[in-house]
Amino acid sequence: MAKLIMDVGHAPFGHENAYAGFFVTMGWVSIGNQGFVLLRGEGVHAARKGQGDTMMEIGLPQTEKLVNDIIGEGARVIAEKEALRARNITPEMLIQGVEIMSSSELDAVVLEHGERVLTL
Amino acid sequence: MVNQQKTLGVMIISPPFGNQYADHMCRTISRALDKGYRVEIFLYGDSVHAQMNAQRPKTFYPVGKVLKELIDRGAVVYSCEICSIARGYISGELKDGKKDYSSTKVIEGVQFTTIFGFAEMLNRADKVVCFGGS
Repeated sequence: MAKLIMDVGHAPFGHENAYAGFFVTMGWVSIGNQGFVLLRGEGVHAARKGQGDTMMEIGLPQTEKLVNDIIGEGARVIAEKEALRARNITPEMLIQGVEIMSSSELDAVVLEHGERVLTL
Repeated sequence: MVNQQKTLGVMIISPPFGNQYADHMCRTISRALDKGYRVEIFLYGDSVHAQMNAQRPKTFYPVGKVLKELIDRGAVVYSCEICSIARGYISGELKDGKKDYSSTKVIEGVQFTTIFGFAEMLNRADKVVCFGGS
């Protein structure tokens, strides 16, 4: 099974990159491949649960739904522990199924599974 | 022993002229073609502005002109269909499902595709490079 790592460092809503990362990952896993989304830096905001009706409110897709969809398709979504801590985002505030790893553990994921790595 | 041609997959997300990611991409692809790589490119997000025809930068790197030269040398350039529609590059409807739009704003040879087409492109690639994460 071919592998793709999507390394997202931008927050959703204010920037297009997080959406690009999720959409591409969805396309990737939907054809039977293995996908990983690493949320680092501001990217961890995409993993917060309880997002409002963002399409209605600000005309942008809800990343909570995108995260749920790609986890449902078998992708792994992993948030960087240090970035969460810096932003006072606790594990309870994350969408169910989102994993938490330290920066060094994420590096290990990249080294083990990084056949294809896209940085957004 | 058969010399298997390797495929380089390139994704770009930054637009031309505002920064140099497109310039670097074009130069990298040119060298990859020199080395015998088969190259496929995916223009995503704001990078679809690189596909605009009749670009006339006075002092900047001529991204559109070089992109056409790369296509003529064999590089395959795909452009995100949704991103292109959003930015006004595609007009009219698909002709008979042939992925052929009546747009006249795009460099000859650029092909429109979806995220799923990009996923298939990634599958074909031996190496993948991404330009412009910021």
